[in-house]
Amino acid sequence: MDKKTENDPFSQTDSVLSSALSQKITYLNELNESIKSGNDLKIYELMDPNRFATEVKGEEPGEPTPNYFGLASDLKAELSHHLSNQLIDYLGVTYPFFYYHEYDLGKFNIYFGNWWDHRMFGELDAINVRFNFAEDEYETLTKSFELEAQNKRVNDDQMRQLGEQNQKLTQLIEDQAKRDQQKEQIRKQLKENEEKSPMPWEAGKVKEEHQQLQDSLLQLTQIDEQASDGRAEIKKNENQILALSKEETIYNLEKQNIRASFGSFEAFIDNNNHLYAKYLQSLSKETQVSDGE
Amino acid sequence: MSNDINEAPKKVLTTTELLSTYTDAIQAGLDNGTHYVAAFKQLNKTTDTNELLDAALKLTNFHLNTDYVEFPHQFSDEDVQLIFFERLLKLSDNNDSLAISNSEHVQKLLCKFASLGDNTFTFTKSTKNESGFFFGPTAHNRPLFYLNLKTKEFMFHGSALIDYFVVDLEGLDISALKDALSVMMQAAEALKENFGFKIDFNVLDGINGEFYEFAAGEVPESILDELFVKSADNNYILMSGERGGANLTLDNQTKLSVYNAGDSDRPKWGATIHDEDQKESWLYLLLDYPFIKDWYLDNKKQLEILSNKFIFG
Repeated sequence: MDKKTENDPFSQTDSVLSSALSQKITYLNELNESIKSGNDLKIYELMDPNRFATEVKGEEPGEPTPNYFGLASDLKAELSHHLSNQLIDYLGVTYPFFYYHEYDLGKFNIYFGNWWDHRMFGELDAINVRFNFAEDEYETLTKSFELEAQNKRVNDDQMRQLGEQNQKLTQLIEDQAKRDQQKEQIRKQLKENEEKSPMPWEAGKVKEEHQQLQDSLLQLTQIDEQASDGRAEIKKNENQILALSKEETIYNLEKQNIRASFGSFEAFIDNNNHLYAKYLQSLSKETQVSDGE
Repeated sequence: MSNDINEAPKKVLTTTELLSTYTDAIQAGLDNGTHYVAAFKQLNKTTDTNELLDAALKLTNFHLNTDYVEFPHQFSDEDVQLIFFERLLKLSDNNDSLAISNSEHVQKLLCKFASLGDNTFTFTKSTKNESGFFFGPTAHNRPLFYLNLKTKEFMFHGSALIDYFVVDLEGLDISALKDALSVMMQAAEALKENFGFKIDFNVLDGINGEFYEFAAGEVPESILDELFVKSADNNYILMSGERGGANLTLDNQTKLSVYNAGDSDRPKWGATIHDEDQKESWLYLLLDYPFIKDWYLDNKKQLEILSNKFIFG
């Protein structure tokens, strides 16, 4: 406790107040200067001095430094917009497969790739230098990497199922003539059966035979119906298979691109986790280089 | 007419006069034949392209028979077009890549492309226009192009060219197919340069930015999905492009763009091709890239390239 303020029950003097305000003014001035001079590194330090100290400078976490960012936190969107310029330039090199769309001031959607029907993959948080990946999309990518190790694909089962269904339907359509023959045969048998005038003790057997024949005929006409709806069904399945292959093609491109830039999915994840430090260290290097010149 | 007879009795001709009329009529028929022969010789022998066109124009719809003189062996208007076509190519330094194959008979003349084996081709007169003719394979009723010497028009028929060269002749060497196509294009160029013909190259137009308009107008996304998947299978990546469309960079920086040139209310989907030499046309693209051909044929109903509906419809 400050000795000078010992007598004040609230330990307050004007000079303390004034110094506190001065610190805030200094803070805002520094922030303002950093923006005007394009010193993004300094801005990041001012926005979160404690994180900056531990993650960028590698200092041991000690007493927390006072953080005045609350003074400007209502300007996050504007700051994000400002910071995104250099950040996206940097990401363009390290993550060449990500594309960004600022859908609102300082708010960025991430797109994976610029190929046909590329996926919207989440958001870029420029203030915290972090990707906030869309959960579903990220999970599918993770799964795709996992399955790849087993020589499998995300949509394999579904695609196989649809393919088999189409094979079956094609067979049904092809077998139409065969069924028509069978039906003709059964109708003949039915006619013969109906023309029989059995002895009373045989009547039950004849009746049973009649029922069996009718059942088989019904079964065949049911298959006929399936076959006649078959073409539409096949087309529907084909469309679904196409949609699934498109997804697989997209996963493949995503995996290829991650490997091309990072070598492996694990390295990609690791880089994401250390993005803040990596980016700001690269900014710091740049500053040193330009200072040296 | 009966009135004439009542008012002014018909003058009775003397025998000499009657016989003179008869010889005059035969002479006129013979003169007509002489004109025909002169024009035919000109068509067959001249080395001047203007005289060649002049002869073909004279001979097309030439009425050789008269009441008193008939010629039993006559070439048809279609034959005249083919002779003109073959000679035009010869005069344009084309070395026998197209030749009339059955000139020993006076009948419907056929021709063969040097690169297309025994397939024969011939002209057929348009039913809509007596000076218009369709050129196509004898075995199929497909007009590959339309030629009208009188109105100076030459138009290729896109979907028929694709049906014939991409589907019917599948299996032949691509270079053989391109040789035959280039012969037809050379003829079109010659018509344009020598006589100022209006040419519609349609699917053979290799000029960058030529818009190949799809028949469907609207192209559902699933069709582009299919191109995306097929491209990836062949190690090309379909990129998303302007106006809801897509771009594909192929070999030698050849770029295919598919997009909507209209708007959402009145969609007008189609494709353009950019390549350094301005040689790659829609048809060549289908020949050069089997996966694009498969894609086109799978979705032919929508992707068919429009040709002049009035002429070919």
